[in-house]
Amino acid sequence: MAHYVMVIDTRTCVGCHSCTVACRVHNELPVDMIYNPVTTVGPTGVFPNLHMVHIPLLCMHCENTPCVDACPTGASQQRSDGIVWVDEKKCVGCKACVMACPYGARVTNKEKGTVQKCDFCMDRVDKGNIPRCVQTCHQKARIFGDLDDPESEVSKLINKEHVVRLLDELGTKPNVYYIYGLEAQNR
Amino acid sequence: MKRSVDLEQEGIQVKKACCYFCHQNCGILAYVKDGKVIAIEGDPDFPTNTGGLCCRGNINLLHLDHPARINYPLKRVGKRGEGKWERITWDQALDEIAAKLAKIKEEFGAEALATAGGTQRTDDWARRRFMNLFGSPNGFHNSHLCWIPTFMIETAVCGWSPFEIDMGLSRCIVLWGQNPAVSTLPEMHHLSELKKKGLKVIVIDPRYTETAAKADLWLPLRPGSDLALALAWLHVIIYEGLCDYQFIEENCIGFEELTKHVEQFTPEWAAPLTWLDPELIREGARMYAMNRPGNIQWGVALDQQGRAAGAAIHARALLRAITGNLDAPGSDLLTGPAPDFLTDEEMEANEYLSEEQKAKQLGSDKFKLITWPGYSKIAEITKKYWGKAPTAEWMCEAHPPTVFRAIITGKPYPVKALIVSGTNPVNSYGDSQLVLEALRKVELLVTCEYWMTPTASLSDYVLPIAGALERPTITSSYGCTDFLLASQRAIQPMYERRNDYNFWRDLGIRLGQADMWPWETVEDAYLYKLEPLGYGTDTYDEFVEWYRFYFPERQYYKYKEKGGFATPSGKIELYSSVLKDLGYSPLPEYVGPVENEIDHPELAKEYPLVLSTGNGFMPYHHSEHFQVPQLRYLNPEPYFQINPETAKEYGIKQGDWVWIETRRGRIKQRAEVTPAVAPRVIITQRGWWFPERDINEPELGGCLESNTNVLTSVEDEDCDPMSGTWANRGLLCKIYKVSDDNGKGEK
Repeated sequence: MAHYVMVIDTRTCVGCHSCTVACRVHNELPVDMIYNPVTTVGPTGVFPNLHMVHIPLLCMHCENTPCVDACPTGASQQRSDGIVWVDEKKCVGCKACVMACPYGARVTNKEKGTVQKCDFCMDRVDKGNIPRCVQTCHQKARIFGDLDDPESEVSKLINKEHVVRLLDELGTKPNVYYIYGLEAQNR
Repeated sequence: MKRSVDLEQEGIQVKKACCYFCHQNCGILAYVKDGKVIAIEGDPDFPTNTGGLCCRGNINLLHLDHPARINYPLKRVGKRGEGKWERITWDQALDEIAAKLAKIKEEFGAEALATAGGTQRTDDWARRRFMNLFGSPNGFHNSHLCWIPTFMIETAVCGWSPFEIDMGLSRCIVLWGQNPAVSTLPEMHHLSELKKKGLKVIVIDPRYTETAAKADLWLPLRPGSDLALALAWLHVIIYEGLCDYQFIEENCIGFEELTKHVEQFTPEWAAPLTWLDPELIREGARMYAMNRPGNIQWGVALDQQGRAAGAAIHARALLRAITGNLDAPGSDLLTGPAPDFLTDEEMEANEYLSEEQKAKQLGSDKFKLITWPGYSKIAEITKKYWGKAPTAEWMCEAHPPTVFRAIITGKPYPVKALIVSGTNPVNSYGDSQLVLEALRKVELLVTCEYWMTPTASLSDYVLPIAGALERPTITSSYGCTDFLLASQRAIQPMYERRNDYNFWRDLGIRLGQADMWPWETVEDAYLYKLEPLGYGTDTYDEFVEWYRFYFPERQYYKYKEKGGFATPSGKIELYSSVLKDLGYSPLPEYVGPVENEIDHPELAKEYPLVLSTGNGFMPYHHSEHFQVPQLRYLNPEPYFQINPETAKEYGIKQGDWVWIETRRGRIKQRAEVTPAVAPRVIITQRGWWFPERDINEPELGGCLESNTNVLTSVEDEDCDPMSGTWANRGLLCKIYKVSDDNGKGEK
């Protein structure tokens, strides 16, 4: 069984928002809905001593899932390969999962009345493809793969690089890892 | 791409198309069923984007059938700009336009027709072909702002523009006024990969850009002071003995004159002009000169500086030569034109334009380098050396502001008709108020477009043009390099849209050019271009499907084999005889930015801030894509950048609407208060108009309100004397908050 994870390399992300737009267009989301925003921190500092980093966000596909635990109808589910998804047919739009998610990764589709979120493009993944946001990234800053496969790029990166997980202290055990290295400081 | 689409269903064809929203032309796989594109994705096998697509690339399907697209030929029936249109057939439109052009030609001469383009949004060799056969020398683009002065000055100095950066072995790249993290994402990817292996990246930019944030060294110079910096770098490299002396000895002439010339341009001299610490200037120069081989990547910044542009480009070109970073592995390569397929120039029929008509080209008496006088001279040399000439469309054009003035004043002769293809001049050319006056005044205005732009709304005829996925594309660096990338159309144009190629062809046939247009479709013409390669495919589409691109084996040090360079002396002319013969300085002379506090202290009292305009920003391209909400949300309104210190001084807070005013006029944009720019520097966004507003007169989609080109200058004395490029950068401005009592206070 696979164990799907994503590694995001903030050293190469340039904040172009291609992933956000690709996701939205692919998933036909209304304009007020985003699964995977890119947040930009900075530039901080005083000219010309500045720093800037872009942090792409998405559902963390936690191992310990506050959202699934909170769902009263069983719509929010976790697959054995780690992908967390919402069965829209079972969702009643109560937003308990929205409240439970510490990452703000779940959004309500006002047109459908259901809660939706990133599911790692599981329909593509099940056919052997990579998620849309990963494919569209020119910078290859998003890397997707199977952590159980020691030869996969994600396994190698997680072993080799200094990776962090967001709000790791909550014990959610996210399956999204960030490489967060400071670039050479400018003068 | 719709999630529900099953890409494995029967009857799907995968077409090897490309994105057409900027010149990168990233490869796209288009899934087509029953004549409809049902899904797209980045082509993983395409050499540049390797599967990636930017924001714009991802909205190709939304663009294809966007409700605001123009789908049928339209003829104006009300007053100009009133918005009353009649749907007509292509035949009627072409018949009527041809008849009007024939009459204008008879009465005023062929030169009374001018045509305007954007930047590579169309098949421009076809337009040139039409114009040459019609007999008018007055085709133009706003490409003065984009590479063309660079290409021609570099070709004058070293025999071709060394724009092909050979990165594999490079140890250092200078990104001079270029922000690939926004404007050329495939390049940024390759840079990032090489940087992991130790490539040094130097960014020269007044803004802390997305790219500067990743650089090893950032030189945040005063906008428009690039010439001073380039001269100081020449000084450092020569006077610190960092040149490649063997290369100079064997391949260059004029080194003594150059050495003497740059003696005065010390980093200390440049410091107050560039606002850079002299040590930082030295550090940059050393990093480039001592990490060989290295590259200087072209960016539009130098092309857009008006009066100082030519000299700055010239000085930058000399940096490569004295460090030997030319045509060696890992450096900047002189590809020359393609020897083994037909170039755009060979498709242009330039030989059909008479000397008499060439002499009438507007602006060629003032700005000689990228008009017939300079182009003829350079073409003659390159034909002798390379066997071919640079593309004339782009490299030899009428001077746009001079054409607009001729429309308005009738001097030096009347220009009665303007055909606009794939551009919105009121937003993208300099001095928008001048352009708008000309558009309102010209007797016949025809626009070939995707959208009802402010320019289209003022037209007599608006013709629907095929866009991305509806047109085949050959990408070959404006027809000036030795390789090509080929893409096919995914589908035939929807509704009654047509390729711009067919517009020019069908118009030409009606005007007696039938013999000269043997290719019924653009694919036929492309196949004709490719035939000399000898692949033997029956159709262009077969070439795309089976080969997709053509990269000849890379040859380094071609000058050794060819016995020198394509210049009059056969050497790299550090002291340029071509420029000298045209009446320009053979060495780069210092001249200040068009408006600056040192040369114009009185002006600086009224306009105390330094303005830069014209840089690219996501998610738009030039003045395009404001109609697409899936992009617009990323940057819904026009913003300018201002340092917190300056903002505080003017009482401006984040998001405030602010008037920005130069001697030419004023616009309003919202404040982005950010340390990314120096105090006293204002950087505006370009392109803005508002398709959601009334597109007809007098509103015209708010095309002047936030349009940064209201601020730019196209006065002859502000233009570069060599190329005629106008001044977008290094201007002086003042700012004040928008309020109820200082003009139109509404948003």
